Amino acid sequence: MSGHGFYLWMSYGATALALAIEIATLVARRAKAKRLIEEERDLEAQD
Amino acid sequence: MNWFYFSSPSTFYRLAGWLAPWFFALAAILAVVGLYYGFVVAPTDAQQGEVYRVIFIHVPAAWMSMFLYFVMAAYSAASLTFNTRLGAMMARALAPTGAMFTFVALWTGAFWGRPTWGTYWAWDARMTSELVLLFLYFGFISLSNAFEDPRRGDRAAALLALIGLVNLPIIYFSVHWWNTLHQGSSIKLTGTSMHVAMLTGMLLMVFSFWMYSIATALARVRSIILERERRTRWVRAL
Repeated sequence: MSGHGFYLWMSYGATALALAIEIATLVARRAKAKRLIEEERDLEAQD
Repeated sequence: MNWFYFSSPSTFYRLAGWLAPWFFALAAILAVVGLYYGFVVAPTDAQQGEVYRVIFIHVPAAWMSMFLYFVMAAYSAASLTFNTRLGAMMARALAPTGAMFTFVALWTGAFWGRPTWGTYWAWDARMTSELVLLFLYFGFISLSNAFEDPRRGDRAAALLALIGLVNLPIIYFSVHWWNTLHQGSSIKLTGTSMHVAMLTGMLLMVFSFWMYSIATALARVRSIILERERRTRWVRAL
């Protein structure tokens, strides 16, 4: 890497981390949306 | 084919669910081939050495940061003009991915700049206008979530997106209008000075990031549709 390994790893590592965080937040948001729907269904069933 | 059929959240929800995995798969395949070209096939740069390989993510991320803002503003304009629910939802779905790519462009640019220019950051026109783009994305996301009524948030954020459009030509032409530290474009309509393997790797990564952006926007808009339409009959029936 001719002394440039640090800069390359910091670039590619941060990009991989950013992509992983985005995908994790996508999954979490979908789970939360589904939970909200379940709560609505429960409320409706109680009424 | 009646395209207005897909402007309904219920039909678009199903279409997005079917399309998103295909776009994720395409993005992954293109990234693997693009990185193979970038790290194995493309030669070492005569002037910059190995660090130039940052371009395989820096340039695609920078292009996506501007392109996604433009698409987000177009959806915002459509939602303001035609009062479409799905347009505003798509604009909201694109903003986090656009912000992420803007951050990646700035971050990787800094780690490219240090060994090539001798500094991580300079208040240069290209870098500063790209930073303004990141703040515009943050402003859009904050404003769209700042109201109890999501439709009011949609309208306020849409206005900001449209006003912020003025920043895109500033980013693009900054290297021509001002004397900047950032280099000019290596790819022009008239041709390129890049080695064919470098160009191939970079373009493959551009398409990979493009497919990824579509996939994440589709996946996110499905969650937004569920959140907004959770009291409707079709969502309850899912």
